[in-house]
Amino acid sequence: MIQIHDLNFRVKDRFLLKTIDIEIKKGELIAIVGPNGAGKSTFLSCLGSEIPYQAKQFSFKNKDIKSYKKDEIPLHRAKFSQHQSAEINLKNDEIVLMGRYPYFKNDADISDKEIVQNWMQKTETQHLIDREYEQLSGGEKQRLHLARVFTQLENTIENKLLLLDEPLNNLDVAHQFKTLHLIKEFTNKNNTALVVLHDLNIASQFADRLILLNKGTIELFDEPQKVLTQERISRVYQYPCILHQHPVTNQPIILFG
Amino acid sequence: MKKKIAVYKLTFFIVLLVALVTALYLGAYDFNHSVFEIVSTYFKTKTHTADSFVLIELRIPRILMAILTGAALSITGTSLQGLFKNPLASPDLIGITSGAVLFAALTIVFGSAVMHLLPPFLSYTLLSIMAFLGALLTMWFVYKMATSNGKTHILILLLSGVAISALSGAVTGFLTYISTEEELRNLTFWSLGSLAGSNWWKVCLVFVVVSIGSFRLLKKGKTLNALMLGEKEAAHLGFDIEKTKREIIIISSLMVGCVVAFNGTIGFIGLVVPYILRFVFNSNYNILLPLSMILGAVILLIADTISRTIVIPAELPIGILTAIMGAPVFISILINYKRKLK
Repeated sequence: MIQIHDLNFRVKDRFLLKTIDIEIKKGELIAIVGPNGAGKSTFLSCLGSEIPYQAKQFSFKNKDIKSYKKDEIPLHRAKFSQHQSAEINLKNDEIVLMGRYPYFKNDADISDKEIVQNWMQKTETQHLIDREYEQLSGGEKQRLHLARVFTQLENTIENKLLLLDEPLNNLDVAHQFKTLHLIKEFTNKNNTALVVLHDLNIASQFADRLILLNKGTIELFDEPQKVLTQERISRVYQYPCILHQHPVTNQPIILFG
Repeated sequence: MKKKIAVYKLTFFIVLLVALVTALYLGAYDFNHSVFEIVSTYFKTKTHTADSFVLIELRIPRILMAILTGAALSITGTSLQGLFKNPLASPDLIGITSGAVLFAALTIVFGSAVMHLLPPFLSYTLLSIMAFLGALLTMWFVYKMATSNGKTHILILLLSGVAISALSGAVTGFLTYISTEEELRNLTFWSLGSLAGSNWWKVCLVFVVVSIGSFRLLKKGKTLNALMLGEKEAAHLGFDIEKTKREIIIISSLMVGCVVAFNGTIGFIGLVVPYILRFVFNSNYNILLPLSMILGAVILLIADTISRTIVIPAELPIGILTAIMGAPVFISILINYKRKLK
């Protein structure tokens, strides 16, 4: 679904991403992990065409990603950003409705509004509808924008791409898991999601494969069991850790310290 | 929600119509016949009576000019506020009005030799093009000054506006002082605005500019809403942000420039109208843009009617009235800011 060959991104003389080669399949849920400053968000921004990277090849669904039109790509790809606007003077359902902006000209259809309702239900934000956006907590705002991003990709196109930059920030444990289940539900329909995560255990539990980034390069891109070894993780994070097994799923569990 | 908006639109339209009819009859000159009679006799005889001259050559163009000017200043104010994500970004406060005034005044003084030779429509066109250039230049300057890394600093934006207004005020004052030109003689025209000079040529020109400009701006509702999410997020929704910015800046300069060239500075309208509407509709630009046009037209028409009837036979500069409305709004926006800073 995505083929990237020799992608670089640098600011002045410093490479933030260096010779990235990667191939991502459809239907995969991929977690991007790594220490601070490893280039996780930068990589996601490249995938979202937000910054001017250099790449020998970057194809999305067998087409050069730059050949997609500006108003066409929102139907295929959506991004959830790490920092959400603190001040939006709109009703909360109007904010979620923005996800449908690529679909209607002036007035939203009933179907658009139904999709908004549906996703507000799924993200458990429906009860916030009459509250002011600025009064919402960080986690509530976060879920509202998640709903918006999901409504944007609600269409009949196959193999869509969802990019999420730390979607679990500010969320309580229950909502962290509920959110991951929503993402999993999305990738089960043959769509792909790349998620920047900080919690390695959550990553290993949900992701099909992990991208471990370190200093702007891919340390390893493989299944969680192969990526999460004691030696590698303590070397990359420069902090001691031990490895356990999840009692139910048998996935590796990392304990730091 | 949709119904509610339709009701508001209809109400505003009705108020506009009532204001329009009232404005036709009010003024320093009282008609001997009804408006309809005067117009129909004029079209039959093709010669002006005192009644028909006042009505057709003075009052109707002035009323139309008030409507167009109010609509133009309000919709540009709303668009600029959306673009800069700040309720204080109105054309007069960030200085583009002053830039337009400066260039218009320069054109009148130094271009007088050329302008007298041109037919009225062309000389008015020249004047509005120059005012447009002045507005565009200041807009560009102010924008470059206030924006770094895609973020606009409202403090710098407003202070650049203050600087430009001061410069423009000084130069315009000086030109007025040395000039013998009739159009420049009255300094209050430039600083407080007046619709008294309206005629059909000007109305036609403003009409063309305002309708084309508004037509483009009215389509920007979704983009301006999406901009509240941030520029990158808006791009992910498929909007070409750089193009939108350029478009709004150029169109606003064109509209403000054209309006200012003929009517001087009419302050605060672009600030007050969106501010009132935000109380009811939050910041949904899909609704704000069309409603601000109508409400702006209503408010300016009422203000102009008051300005020419309150001290008959003299006239009160219209800027005094808009400032009386605008200053409290300005202050209340500042109070709001202060609350948020805590």
